Amino acid sequence: MANLRIEHLNKRYGATTVLNDVNLSIGDGEFVVLVGPSGCGKSTLLRMIAGLDGASGGDIHIADKLVNTLAPAERGIAMVFQSYALYPHMNVRKNMTFGLKFTGVPPTERERRVAKAARMLRLEELLERYPRDLSGGQRQRVAIGRAIVREPAVFLFDEPLSNLDAALRVSTRVEIANLHRLLKSTIVYVTHDQVEAMTLADRIVVMNKGCIEQVGKPLDLYYEPANLFVAGFIGSPAMNFFEAEVGGIEGGRARVAGTAFRNFDMPAASLKVGDALTVGVRPEHLVRGGAGPFLAEGIVELVERLGEASFAYLRRVDGRIFVAEVRGRQTPAPGETVTLVAASPDVHVFDALGLRVAT
Amino acid sequence: MPEPLSNITVQMPRAKLAGLLLFFLGPAVAIYSLFSIYPLVATMALSTYTSDPSGARSFVGLANFETLLGDALWSKPFWNALGNNLIFFAVHMCVQNPIGIALAGLLSLPGVRLKGFYRTVMFLPTMLSVVIVGFSWNLILSPLWGVAAGALKAVGLGSLFAPWLGLESSALVTLSLMSVWQFVGIPMMLIYAALLNIPEELIDAARVDGLGQFRIFFHIKLPLVLPTISLVSVLTFVANFNAFDLIYSVKGALAGPNFTTDILGTFFYRTFFGNQLQLGNPTMGAAVATVMFFIILLGLCLYLFLVQRRIRRYAF
Ligand SMILES: Nc1ncnc2c1ncn2[C@@H]1O[C@H](COP(=O)(O)OP(=O)(O)OP(=O)(O)O)[C@@H](O)[C@H]1O
Ligand SMILES: [Mg+2]
Repeated sequence: MANLRIEHLNKRYGATTVLNDVNLSIGDGEFVVLVGPSGCGKSTLLRMIAGLDGASGGDIHIADKLVNTLAPAERGIAMVFQSYALYPHMNVRKNMTFGLKFTGVPPTERERRVAKAARMLRLEELLERYPRDLSGGQRQRVAIGRAIVREPAVFLFDEPLSNLDAALRVSTRVEIANLHRLLKSTIVYVTHDQVEAMTLADRIVVMNKGCIEQVGKPLDLYYEPANLFVAGFIGSPAMNFFEAEVGGIEGGRARVAGTAFRNFDMPAASLKVGDALTVGVRPEHLVRGGAGPFLAEGIVELVERLGEASFAYLRRVDGRIFVAEVRGRQTPAPGETVTLVAASPDVHVFDALGLRVAT
Repeated sequence: MPEPLSNITVQMPRAKLAGLLLFFLGPAVAIYSLFSIYPLVATMALSTYTSDPSGARSFVGLANFETLLGDALWSKPFWNALGNNLIFFAVHMCVQNPIGIALAGLLSLPGVRLKGFYRTVMFLPTMLSVVIVGFSWNLILSPLWGVAAGALKAVGLGSLFAPWLGLESSALVTLSLMSVWQFVGIPMMLIYAALLNIPEELIDAARVDGLGQFRIFFHIKLPLVLPTISLVSVLTFVANFNAFDLIYSVKGALAGPNFTTDILGTFFYRTFFGNQLQLGNPTMGAAVATVMFFIILLGLCLYLFLVQRRIRRYAF
């Protein structure tokens, strides 16, 4: 258990910059999830924390100790890989004790730790089996067990659930959450899956093109995305965006004007007349016949029924498509014109640089 | 009930099916039979005959084998050749294959520069003709004009030099090492290819577990390429017991000095084709060839039943 501090971390391969000035501070016992589009540098960041890849610049502190020059095994970390990376020629017990042998843990202590981890992960029956005789979920648990017996200060997970089927993914997710509750260890977890990120994380780190876009609690990212990228990335289906501009300023209030929605007012703050804006509203916040500043009209093109909700794809006045969630049994029919409204906290306005403007 | 392989072949008239089989399988079967099975069977058949001075052949059953293994005139050189062949094989197993494995391990280390260059250079001798290799080494090691003596002297080890190829005590090992030098690229390449198959994440996991590159090689990589190593051993075995050309090109068919470099291949050659005062004896030669075949067969069977079954291939 320890904190983790990353300062001005850079990674370059030749001319390409993979990580650009990453700063991140993770508290003791915190569960931090890294998300971002493919190729944004999540695995690279994780591997650099682990010491598997060297940095081009910057510092990494684990438990207040500078670890830049330390080998992976000396950093007090354990890593769980996407492919599990179990040693195919060793049984489960050997897989778990193998690393301990080389870090000078005495045999009795090794056995104790394996027994404890096996109990925690329900691996007792499987200790003598070889990885080839295990199911995907069991292999995943062994991989986690191999990390646990190292008793690391920081756990690193790189998309650990992506090779599992949907049902197993849910149950293993719950197991990982339980594990974190039990061990109270610091965890850095990379995933593609938003649900995993939202459910597991104390804080989520959204990355894009080697930079951190926003760090925050799951619901903060959802309700108050700092910029257009985070707004579009978090949430499924993605947030609808409408182009707009500042139509006029009057008495400290700016008029947000656009072609595809009814104009509304918001605090002017530092906005100037003519500034380009983007208005964002999540599909689930658009309701029929509610009250709120934001109002848009669309012709229903298609309705996707998922059961608990349906998604209506609507064509706007300017010809583009936006999505609204419809609850209940009554779904609009294609061709119908629908008027949708969003309440004021759910309307996000972003300036020309893509940064959020307080509404 | 087994499913018919395909409805098309089931409904086909028999004659047409036979024609089809002949068309697709015929060429391969014909070539394999002509160049592999027929010579083998013919050799075995020939080994059961003997020819009198007039050239007429008569069937003698296994008498040739009795002579070969029982008559001291034949059995002494035969056992000598077999023993030498085992030494030849042992040198390859103890020198060529470990060096090949080590080179492959070095090449597979992360961050080695000029990998392609080293790989090519070390594989290059394999592509040379054995005659060229033999001739070059003959010159290099020659006490009269070879560079070996001078090179050793230059580093102060001149007293170590000996005419290795000419001494009874060292000729066979020297020849074996020349062959090792030539063919070390083959185990290297095969094992290198197998090492490349090991997933990167497995090595990363071992690094997180605290293993250095040396231990990763011995505890992770080596066990995982064991199937390839055993394949390399079999290839070495077969190649060594069929070897002939290097000895013949360096030492001639007499495999001197005093038959100390005689292996089964050269022994067979002298028996079958004759050499100097010795007359060629095709039927005894066939008997030698048949024995060689069974020695290799025995080696392969031992390998298949004792080793191969215990070795497991890992799917990553
Ligand atoms: N050895 C390398 N040389 C050059 N570029 C590299 C190298 N390794 C990674 N990259 C680049 O670094 C970027 C980040 O890679 P990384 O694996 O960290 O992405 P990721 O966020 O984990 O993506 P994914 O979600 O698909 O796993 C990618 O654009 C990749 O092409
Ligand atoms: Mg990745």
